[in-house]
Amino acid sequence: MDAELAEIRDFLAAHHPFDLLPALKLQDVVRTIEIRYARKGSRLIVPGDKVEFLHIIRSGAIETHDGDGQLLARLGEGDFCGVRSLLRGGTAINRSVAIEDCLLYLLPAAAFERLRQTHRQVDYYFAPMGGGRLKESLDLSDGRREINLLGVRVGDMLSRTPVTIAPTTSVREAAIRMRDERVSCLLVTEEGRLDGIFTDRDLRIRVVAEGLDADTPLRRVMTPNPICIGADDYGFDALLAMARNNVHHLPVVRDGAIAGCITTTNLVETQTTSTVFLAGDIHKQTSPEGLAQVLAHLPELVLHLAESGATAHHIGHVVSTLTDAATVRLIQLAERRLGPPPVPYAWLAAGSQGRHEQTARSDQDNVLVLDDAYDAATHGAYFHDLSHFVCDGLAACGYVYCPGGMMAMTDEWRQPLARWRRYFLGWIEQPEPKALLFASVFFDLRLVHGAAALFDTLQPTILEHTRRNRIFQAFMASNAMQHHPPLGFFRNLVLIRGGQHDRTLDIKHTGIGPIVDIARIYALAAGVPAVNTRERLEAAQMAGGLSTESAADLRDAFEFISLMRIRHQTRMIRQGQEANNFLEPRDLSSFERTHLKDAFAVVKATQAILADTYQTARF
Amino acid sequence: MRPLSASPLGRRWLAWRAPPGPLRNYYDHHVAILSTPYDRAHLLAIDLETTGLDPETDEILSIGYVPIAGGRVHLAGAAYHLVHPLGQVPDETAVIHGLLDGALAEAPPLAEVLPRLLAAMAGRVAVAHHARIERQFLSAACRRLYGRPLAAPFICTLALERRALILEGRKSGDGDLRLGSTRARYGLPRYRAHNALTDALAAAELFLAQAAHASGTKPARLGSLMG
Repeated sequence: MDAELAEIRDFLAAHHPFDLLPALKLQDVVRTIEIRYARKGSRLIVPGDKVEFLHIIRSGAIETHDGDGQLLARLGEGDFCGVRSLLRGGTAINRSVAIEDCLLYLLPAAAFERLRQTHRQVDYYFAPMGGGRLKESLDLSDGRREINLLGVRVGDMLSRTPVTIAPTTSVREAAIRMRDERVSCLLVTEEGRLDGIFTDRDLRIRVVAEGLDADTPLRRVMTPNPICIGADDYGFDALLAMARNNVHHLPVVRDGAIAGCITTTNLVETQTTSTVFLAGDIHKQTSPEGLAQVLAHLPELVLHLAESGATAHHIGHVVSTLTDAATVRLIQLAERRLGPPPVPYAWLAAGSQGRHEQTARSDQDNVLVLDDAYDAATHGAYFHDLSHFVCDGLAACGYVYCPGGMMAMTDEWRQPLARWRRYFLGWIEQPEPKALLFASVFFDLRLVHGAAALFDTLQPTILEHTRRNRIFQAFMASNAMQHHPPLGFFRNLVLIRGGQHDRTLDIKHTGIGPIVDIARIYALAAGVPAVNTRERLEAAQMAGGLSTESAADLRDAFEFISLMRIRHQTRMIRQGQEANNFLEPRDLSSFERTHLKDAFAVVKATQAILADTYQTARF
Repeated sequence: MRPLSASPLGRRWLAWRAPPGPLRNYYDHHVAILSTPYDRAHLLAIDLETTGLDPETDEILSIGYVPIAGGRVHLAGAAYHLVHPLGQVPDETAVIHGLLDGALAEAPPLAEVLPRLLAAMAGRVAVAHHARIERQFLSAACRRLYGRPLAAPFICTLALERRALILEGRKSGDGDLRLGSTRARYGLPRYRAHNALTDALAAAELFLAQAAHASGTKPARLGSLMG
């Protein structure tokens, strides 16, 4: 009878791309396999060898070094060794040595070749490079991705037709209607147009507490022109809109018509650790200490979001939004203490907060743009005190002071609009190393609080100059080449050698950083105002600076690497460790490792295009 | 000491004594000689599941085997056979190997299965963990079916391990020499136990690990592994 080699089959079935083979085919593959044992120190493949097998590591570990002795890869259980040689025709050029006792499943070259020919998914996997694979991995990698806020469209969360009422109706009638319909809010409409919203909270605060007559028309007490959300938006967008605006009800609009209303309760039913609650709590605090206590829950929230399958893009949005909320609250507290500002000002977030890409309480980066009516002698003390109060408060909340001092509390970065304009023009017209360091932080500005007009005046000026100045772009491009993805010539992960982070990958500086830099350059060159990396890539693509394919590849690579970082950090936090950016490849599944390599390869390819476009070798 | 079954002359003698048929065919093939390096020898890892431990009264229920050649296990040659027993399967052993009367009812009798095993063993040195069981059961089966016992060269991975532990000056407890625990000492993965083919495969891999560790600058010779 047929021999069922369950152990081998199950192992292969658990590893990509064999998991994609039909069960019968997998049996065939198993029957072609040979198994060998290699003692620690055995040379498995040496340069010049004819490689006859795809080596699949069942247990143990292998290191591959190039001719110069440089470590190219460290491979562990479920990894493949010898792929490059096989794809190149069979002759090895690197040295692979067992660094632990190894059990190796060997797939003969001929069987491997046949499998690649008959099964496209196998060929696709082993084919030298393809960014397209990444996208799938984002969908495939999390089998337990639940139905949650991030995947549900607002339109699908509506359980009933909207309860609408005319603005001329009395408050009493409105209350009766709310009781009968068992709703906490009414949409006030006139001729099918949404005029306002009236909630039971309004009833308490604006009617009863104010002692208004029950005959008061709704028009006087409703919230006019409420913030709405589209039926096609995700539940998560609704959550953020509520958190940002500190409201509990959002009318839902579909094709210009009112489709219903969604409430905090609707959302919270699906999400327990709610951003709404955290944001709401932030706004209730009256001291930096209180804020710090609320924000202590942030790692928990990120953990929860990551586990429930949120994308890195969404997590970045949530965390940055909460940082914004804390910043705004601190500014309000400062103003309460110092009195109203003597001249208008704008508080801007820079760096990852500016880009909506914070995934934890990281360094704070912020600046203060003052109205040109600012006079240092008379107003200096006020803004000095305000910025110190806010930055100190943020530090108390866990956002450590920026080591480079890029904060509103630094005199240099608390300046009138005209001065800021000079700063930027200086950086753009005379790019120099120090300027470029600032540029990476200060070109990612976003208004958090204050006079929007100041920011709206500054930004177009900056973009106008960055768009036109090709030399500046080239300097930025050259600067972006300083960090390479840790990918060897043969698609192996290249690890940090020695030091505290021996044999790890710096996923922040060599993975995420380069993509952020690339997106910034394309955005500045296209004069795009977006600062979020994903939005920048999309906008740059629309503007024609980036091919559709490159933009999609980069966006997927960014999402994947960011998600890997978040998972790494939540894993460390769960183990009670300080989260860092250093990934140990052996902690990754073979699936994760493969796609991390794909993502790095995308970055590498784009860097090459950028280098070519701007001839960065000349700088 | 050289077992009769492992020498060319001895095998001619054994073949002459055996009746024409599977057993004689088996002896007619040469097996590797004792000075053969293990990574150039042809071997066959074997495991049997039985109704008990007594070769005279208990029966073989399933046979798994997988060849080793050139220092590698070849899954292409792996085979697994169920055997229709003459008697009932006792409950206490059925819970170990999971073979129940129902599954075995359809299986061929030992008289059909044994020739296939002997054909696979021809020209190969047998490998088993606790080889005494396999040796005794196969020998009893040959006696019953062909009138002559089986004299086959066996390498016992359990005996190899016991010797290795003694050489290292370590005492071995009861459980230490079980297939799973022994494999773990060589960094081999944990396999589910008590399926004849999986156990044969597990023994094959273990043999390669033990032989690799017993080798110096040159690969160990079969003679030094046969004990």
